[in-house]
Parts: sequence; structure tokens; C-alpha cells
Amino acid sequence: MRPAPRLARVLRLGVVALVVGASAATGVTAPALADRPQPVTPRAAVAGDAWSQTKSMERQFVAADGTSTAISDPSTGSPWQVSVNVDHTQNLRGRERVGITWSGAQPSAGRANDPFGPGGMSQEYPVVVLQCRGTGDDVRPETCWTSSFNQRSQVSRSENDAAWTEDLHASEAATARISSALGEVPGKDVCPDIVEGEEFYTRLVPFVSAKGQVYPACDGKTMPPEAAAEAALPANEIAAFTDGNGSGSVQFEIRTDVENESLGCNKLVACSIVVIPIVGISCATASSLVDQEMSVAEKSCRRTGQFAPGSGNATNVAGDQAVSPSLWWAESNWRNRFVIPVTFGDPPDTCDILDPRAPTGFYGSELLAQAALQWAPAYCLNKKRFKFQHNQMPDQAGFSLMASGGGAAALVSSKYEATGDPVGYAPVALTGFGVGYIVDRPGNAGELADLRLNARLLAKLITQSYTGSSFGAGHPGMEQNPWAITKDPEFVALNPGLTDEASEAAATLLSLSNSSDVVRRLTEYIASDKVAMDFVKGKPDPWGMRINPSYKKIKLPRDEWPLLDDFVPQGGTECKAKNPSTYFNDLAAPVSTMRKIAEALLDAWPNVQTRCDTDLSVTPPIYKLGRVERQHYGDRFMLGIVSLGDAQRYGLRTAALETGKGRYVTPTTDSLTAAVKLARPEGQRGPFEMDMVKLRKAGKAYPGTMLVYAAARLQNLDKKDAAKVAQFVRTATSEGQRPGSGNGQLPGGFVPIRKSGATQALYARAQAVARAIEQQKVPATTPEAGPATVTPGAPEAVPAADPAVAAPAAGPAPAPEALTMPPTKAVSSEWSGRLLPVLLMLGLVFSVVSAVSRVVVLRSRR
Amino acid sequence: MTTLDEAPVVTDGQPAPRSHGSRFRRQLPRRRAPRPVRPARPVGPPNRVETAGSVISTSTTMVALVTLWMALQMLVLGGVAQERSQTLLYQEFRAQVAAATAPVGPVTEPGAPVALLEIPRLGMQQVVVEGTASGDLLAGPGHLRNTVLPGQAGTSVVLGRAATYGSPFADVDRLEPGDRIEVTVGQGRVVFTVQGLRRSGDALPQPLASGRSRLTLVTAEGQGRLSAIAPGETLYVDAEASSAFPAPAGLPPTVPESEKPMGLDTGVLPLLALDLALLLALTLGVIAARQRWSLVHVWVVATPLALALAWVTTDGVMRLLPNLT
Repeated sequence: MRPAPRLARVLRLGVVALVVGASAATGVTAPALADRPQPVTPRAAVAGDAWSQTKSMERQFVAADGTSTAISDPSTGSPWQVSVNVDHTQNLRGRERVGITWSGAQPSAGRANDPFGPGGMSQEYPVVVLQCRGTGDDVRPETCWTSSFNQRSQVSRSENDAAWTEDLHASEAATARISSALGEVPGKDVCPDIVEGEEFYTRLVPFVSAKGQVYPACDGKTMPPEAAAEAALPANEIAAFTDGNGSGSVQFEIRTDVENESLGCNKLVACSIVVIPIVGISCATASSLVDQEMSVAEKSCRRTGQFAPGSGNATNVAGDQAVSPSLWWAESNWRNRFVIPVTFGDPPDTCDILDPRAPTGFYGSELLAQAALQWAPAYCLNKKRFKFQHNQMPDQAGFSLMASGGGAAALVSSKYEATGDPVGYAPVALTGFGVGYIVDRPGNAGELADLRLNARLLAKLITQSYTGSSFGAGHPGMEQNPWAITKDPEFVALNPGLTDEASEAAATLLSLSNSSDVVRRLTEYIASDKVAMDFVKGKPDPWGMRINPSYKKIKLPRDEWPLLDDFVPQGGTECKAKNPSTYFNDLAAPVSTMRKIAEALLDAWPNVQTRCDTDLSVTPPIYKLGRVERQHYGDRFMLGIVSLGDAQRYGLRTAALETGKGRYVTPTTDSLTAAVKLARPEGQRGPFEMDMVKLRKAGKAYPGTMLVYAAARLQNLDKKDAAKVAQFVRTATSEGQRPGSGNGQLPGGFVPIRKSGATQALYARAQAVARAIEQQKVPATTPEAGPATVTPGAPEAVPAADPAVAAPAAGPAPAPEALTMPPTKAVSSEWSGRLLPVLLMLGLVFSVVSAVSRVVVLRSRR
Repeated sequence: MTTLDEAPVVTDGQPAPRSHGSRFRRQLPRRRAPRPVRPARPVGPPNRVETAGSVISTSTTMVALVTLWMALQMLVLGGVAQERSQTLLYQEFRAQVAAATAPVGPVTEPGAPVALLEIPRLGMQQVVVEGTASGDLLAGPGHLRNTVLPGQAGTSVVLGRAATYGSPFADVDRLEPGDRIEVTVGQGRVVFTVQGLRRSGDALPQPLASGRSRLTLVTAEGQGRLSAIAPGETLYVDAEASSAFPAPAGLPPTVPESEKPMGLDTGVLPLLALDLALLLALTLGVIAARQRWSLVHVWVVATPLALALAWVTTDGVMRLLPNLT
């Protein structure tokens, strides 16, 4: 496996701690980079998936006498040689994150707290990363997405902020006092903010949507709807920071037309990631040789920055415009762009649209979600196969549905008691769950890349033993407990150097509200740890922390995690006092799918429901509890249970879990394989048992490893359904185990099950069970066994009368073989053509006659 | 209040009326009383010039009013009515799509919304109704009933007005090959790509490959200076989509003449006769009322009625006119 994705993840923007002064800059996480093993089947397994390119770029000033000075790399004296690498570019899905790294760029300065969207505009020499529609030369600034108009247009600037008008490389039209990238500047009715006066300069970079609509981008109102102030998704474009060595990295989130319809990227509409290292505006011939006599704009164009390389700019003080990311569209910057073409996978609803056949539902585990997303089109687009549909639901419910005849097969991760017919378990995927996290190091030093957790910490989190705030601290029996995990000495010892501030989000682990094999596995992990179980049974930890009494002696393991605490705090703000609620339930606020948890982590938006809003506009005021705000870049701390598939797709980090004393294991291909080696098969066609105690003893096996089985009845299953399930198992364990991003391939986060090697037993078991399912040793005779299933595969009636529908208006229906078509019959109407003009003319004539005759009558009376 | 009211009454030397109604009646003659004095009529019978003049003046005024009203309603007021119909249809269709109860054919009640048609380049969004009779097209573009719905496998034909009643298809002649036409029907959303414009004499489009979907927009266009309001010749816009929803069987084999392009609906004649009769009745009513009531009162009462009747009558007349106008 290649090191690049690893590098991308570890070096994610801001991980490298910067010390002012290029020579002193060292990567704090550099040792971690070597220690940390590779993630589970990283992307870029397919040739051509990764992308890299090198470009040279420099900045030029042309003096009054025509001589030109170049500003280039001081270490080499030659132009900057910037190399950009992207870890994967093919078959991307909505919100997937790709790792982008670069080297050889000019060190950035004035680091912003939040480099996304408008927040990053006051930095100097950053690397701007945008998503644009089109590829190659079709990519223009007008097709690039920004989430505010300030990032693309400069409206009514003073001469001091008009560096682009001196751009050496720009055309005459682009340096005019008021100009637009699309030629015509809209009038006052559209853009009232454009001031015409001599001292004001305006450059518009309109946005052209996928449908061809032009948004002038001169104020917030003239931007696409997705750029609204409270848009559903946060900005994905970023002005990323380059460290003192000239390198940097970012995980860039891709948006499809599902997330951003105006940008409109999808499988058919090609798009690109555009990376623009800002080197500053090259300036055209000055008016004077003497610096002091130059015009204001000329001086402003020649500025080289206000901040020292590597410095911070937490207060967002404006830097020098000529080297800021807000002029990324100026020709001097734009010509240095790297255009990285990306392709998109089929949208999630491909099968619903393209295949009219009735789907055959497989019910159960969400762990398979990302694999099913890629697998489903390989079934529905192949007419020889059936239409596979993965319906997510709790494993237990999926199994019951299958056992009762309501579904062809269930997707589960553990053994369930079958009451009626015998059930076979065919392993189809090796994956697992992880404790996803997004944690920033204090002092804007970047993201933590190696969080470590043990069973007791997880037990403390899920039993809601951290009090969250002063409200929770009033809970009887928890007076000595820390407010959050960041205050817990046990956690601090494991993960030193993190913030010591307590927050409500850091007091909880966002988890699942319903029954799931993931919860079972997680609680098995806790139950297998003696120290953790002692804590659960009521023994305080060495620092005096006690379990929340509501969860004391809770039985573990279990399938579903209950909300047991009913403590209602007193006092607080008026809103809280008027709106009493069970505080610990609001803190935990579990959700129904791991996908929601993954998105909460992606947005750094905890699901903590303790925010209390007061609506004072009515009497008496209305009080409402709701979700807290998004966390700020630099202060993020959030934990949640995610599937490894989601973690890989969205570029989320997962914590290392303790197995033995001082041994922490992250989910990797090796650690999952090590776990599966310990799995013992049950019976002839049962599932594999992965004993947690053995697994922990082994040391290097990942405790969150889970197998997903396709479980189906071995008797009394409808013949057609049986054939489909067998086909699914065979396809999933052969074609479906090829790593890749295409249809039918295995996405990241899964370990391939192969005919040979450590997963040999799984493969053999899958084939055996597929055979048993297909054969249905006892033929289906009982009436209640089969009929409840969806009628399989019968495609809906395809239109019978196709030819007769040609437009009668367009004359006779065209003969199918004719290539020279008959002419369109003339259909016209005198009435239609003449009526309105005649009406209007008559009306006018008679009005005149009427007026004249009235005058005549009046005159004759006199 | 009472003292103020009573003051003038007492000066008249009549008992002060207590009820509002009685004072109303009593005061009318007082206000009308000076009227005969005002126009200072000439003595003797009117001369011939005067008679002829007033006849010409009155009749031409009436003709001018009728023609201008018709033109006004066709060009302006009809647009308002169409806009309103579209809003209601959109709401109805939206709810149906959300509830998955939107019609998918083959037989739908005429006038019901069946599709949402969007042409981003023209900034156009119209709800397509079922049926193409002149009356159906007053509400929006209509779907020719013996073709499949837009987006279903086969050719679908949609007719729309070019000049009157909101003129939804006035600008389709600006479409160029490659432009997008987006259609939402009960089964989902299809994006068509315009293949070209077709006028009388141009070759028909090639036969449709199976599994594809074609949408033909039909409207009319005019020539010369008044082309915008004189759409006499039909114009076709052909658009194709590579994917198609399955179409239900059982389409009607043909449609009445009135639903074909440039068709007129003579079925409205009885209704029109009734409308005209009502107009006549209103005229007589106005003459009668004028005997008893002041001009102002008659105006107030009759104007809305006259407007409403004129509106309904013109709508009726519109059905007698070609459906693409």
C-alpha cells in the first residue's frame, strides 16, 4: 500500500506544528507517521486513480524602464517548483474526501482559524483548493464554486485594494476599473453595490450554474442558492496553509449535484479540483522608477505580505491583497492552477432510475452500506442478474424479517436464534466499526491524528459518567466526576497535549439509538476488560471517578444501549428553568444510523441537544431545546461510532483501541486480518465466532473487527429467491472483493475476502452456504414459507404501444426504416395569425372615430 | 352625531328621520334635483347631424370597447389568470408527486396537471395540463392526449400558446440544439436535449430508437413586424432523452379535431350564448336601475358584474379561437 494516502491523512491541513522561522519548523507528528499502520484498504488501488503534476511559477514586477524583477524561491533562486499529488480521483461519491498534498510552494503566512470558505481570505500565500465544473481548458473561474461572493468578486474597492488592475498577465479588459469576467457588468437594478465613482474599482467573477444560469456575484443576493448564509452544508473550498518547507496537505470534500445542484457535478458532468498556489499578482509596467511616485494601485500590487511565514492571524486582520487568496481568479494566479480532473460514481439512486424491475431486498446491517452503494449498480445494470437492494435496519429486525419469510436474505454480523427453518450464514464482507473522532490540537496546531482509547474510557463515555457541565455535575453520586473526557486524567495520560477545557460534546460518544450488532461488539469489548467491568460494577477508578448510578451494574454485552438516566437539573438560565429536560439524554442524543454520526463528524457538529433558545417575540416566551452549534475549526472535539466503510469514504479518523497493556490497535488490513484469523466457524453453515478475550490476547488484532453475513433460510425459501441469494453470495465473494471505486468493486474500509490466504476459510464457507441456499434441500412446499416475499424479478410491463405515439401534429408516424423523413405538414391558421393585429387595429380605429364623432356632436350643439 | 345630522333636516321643515335607510332614500331626490338644470339643453328636436353623430359615436365607442377589451384580456389579463392557474396547478402537482399519486397515464382527466416542464435557458417553468383543447391551454401548456406522458418511452407532444394567456411558449423559437428541457412527471425526472426546431416543410425527426423518449413542443410563430402577436404558422421543437420510464398501455388512438394543433372548440357555443344573454340582461338591468338610482350607485353595482361577465365571455370566445394562438 502506498504511503501517499497515509501522508495525506496524517499531514491533513494543520497537523504540522509550525514554529516561526522556516528552519525551525518540524512536523510534530512525524514520528507518528512511521508508527501508524496503514488504514484498511486505502483507495488508489486502481492505476490512474492517483494524480500528480509539477509546475513552475514565479511572480514578476515590471519597472518603468521595462526591466522585470522576478520573485522566486529564495532557497534555489529559480521559480517555485510546485508539485501537487492527489490520492484518488476516480468514481467519487457525494461528500467523499480526497487527500491533496503539495510541496515546493511558497510558505504561507497569517494562518486563519477557519480556512474554509470566506474564513480563509485574510491569509497570505495560501494554496487555494476549489471544485470547478469542466475539465482542462473548460475550467474557468466562472465555473468554480465559492460559498460567498466575497471570494470571487471585488466590489467597489478602493485603489489600495485594486491590485488586480495592475495584473501583468491579464487582458486589457480584465484590468479595467469596472469589469466582469463575463464581459458585461450588470446594471444598478441587479448590482446596486457597484459604485461608479472614479475612486472605486470593481471586478466581478460571476458564477455560471450547471443549467447555464449566470449569477453576477456582486452581493449575497446574486449568488446561487447553495451559497446562502445558512446553507445546509459548510463550505468545502479552502485556502490551505503551506508550511515553512513549502509543503502542505488538505482533505478536500467533493460535492456532487446531490449536495450542490448549481455546481452540478455528476457522472455525466465532468468536474475538476483546481489547486492554485498563490504566489502573488505579477505587476505590469510601473509609471515611475521611484517607488514613492508610483500610483496607489501600483504600490499595492507590489506588496509582498504583512505576516511572517508560519505566523497566525487569529483575529482575521486583512493582509496584503496582492498575495491573498481572494484574487485566485486573477490571471497571475489562475495561470498557475493545477486542474485535476475527477470522475464521479453512479448516484445512489441509479438503480431506482435505470432499472424498472422490482428489487429484491436484503435487510440488515449498516456496516455494508458503502459496499452496497458500489455493488448495487453491478446487479441492476446487468440484466442477467437480479436487482439487489440493501435495506438498512437493525440486524435483529432484518433477521426476523428474513426468518418469517418477509425478505430473501438478512445481512447480519452475529448469530441469531432461528425459530423455524434452518438458516445459513455466508460471510460477504470483512469490515468493522471504529470510534471516529475529530480533535484539534490546541493553539491551532492542527488535527490530532492518533487518538487512543481503552475500554474503561469507552465505558465511562457510554454510561454517561462525564457530567458535561455544571448542570450534570449536580447529579447525585457523580460529584467527583470530571465534566468531560478532556478533564479525565486517564484520558490525558493516554493522549497528552490536548485541550483541558471541558465541553458538552467531549462528555459523550455519539452512538446508535437502536439495536445493532455494532453496539453488541462495542459492549463485548468493554465486557472483556476487567478494569472496565469493575468500573461498571461500581468501583471508582484510581482518580475517584464513579459510574453514573443509573447505569451501575448494567448487563453487558447488549444489542441496544438504553437511555436510563432521568436526572433533571434545576436552575440555570430562565430558558433551562422553564424547559426542564433529562440532561444526560440530551447530551447523548443517540441517532438511528452510523451515516448520521459520520456526517456529524464531517461537519464537526455534535448532536448534543442542550442548546436552549428563547423566542421573546411572543408572550409568554417560547423556550425550545435544540442541537448545539457547529464546532469551530481549531477547537473541535467530537467522538462517534462509525463504520469503517464510512470512515474511509469520508476521510474520518478512527481511534486506536487498547488490546493488551500499552498496546493500541487501529483498524488496518493487518489488524482486521489478524482478528479474522482467530475466528472459529460454528457448525456447518453457521457464522464465525470471534471471541473478544482471545482477540485481545492476540494483541495485534483490532477489537472492532466484524464480519457481515448474508443469512438466508436453507429450507422453504422460494426457488427464485434462493437462486438470487446464492448469486449474490457468489458475486459478492468474487467480483465484489476486488478493491476499487467502480461499480461492483470493494470500497475502502473493507478487507477483501480471497480464495487463499487468511480469509480462505471465509471464502470456502461462503461458497458452501451459497450452494446450500441454492439447493434448498427440502423443496418449498409449505404455503406460508414463500409467498410473502416480493414477487421476484418480474419486470414491469414494458410499453407495448411504442410506435403509435408519434406526434400526429407532425404528420404520419415515421416509418421505422425510413432514413429520409417526409416533410412536416403545414398547419397554419389565418385566424390565429391575424386576429390580434386586427383586433388592435379595429380598436384603435373605432376609438378615433368615436372621439371624432363626439367632438362633431358637441360642436353642432353650440 | 345626532345633533349634527338633525340640523339640516330641521331646516327643511320635515320630521327628523331616525333610521339610516329612510334618510338615504329621502336624500336622493335632493342630490338629483339640480341635474336637469346643468346641461342647459337646446330647445327643439335634435338636428340630423346630432342624431347621426351620437349614433356613430355610441356605436363606435362600443365596438372599440369590445375589441380593446378582448385584446387586453388576451394579452394582459389572460396572463394574470394563467399565472394564477399555474400557481394552483403547481401546488396540486407538487403534492401529488410528493404523495406519489401524480398521474402516469394512459388516461387522465383533462385539465389535471401531469408534468412540470422547465427550460433553464429560457427561465421557463410551466405545469403541463392534460388535454390540448383551446380551453385547456388557457391554464398552461397541454399534453396531447394520444401520446405518452413526457419522459415515458415513445414520443410525447406538448402544445402551448404563443401569444395570448401568458404565452408560455412564446420564446421556444429561441431554443437551440443542445439546450436542456427538464421534465418532472410522477415517475421521476427526465432531462431532454433539444435536437432542433422544425417548421412546415422540414423533414420529420428520425424514428425513435426503442427505450428512448422524445418530447415535441408545438406552438405557433408569426412573421414580420407583428410576429409576436400574430402567430399563424406552427413550430415544432424536438427534444430527446436517452432514458425513458416505462409507458402504460392503453392510449386513446386519436383525439378530437379540437385538440389538434390550431384546433378550435365549437362545443363552447351554448355556453357563449348564455354569457352573451347574461351580458344583455346586465345591460337592460343597468338601464332599469338608472331610472331609480344615481349614476354612482349603478356604476358601483354594475361594473364588477360587467367585468366578470366580459371576462367569462372572452374566455369563451378564446375557446373558439385556435388553441396555439
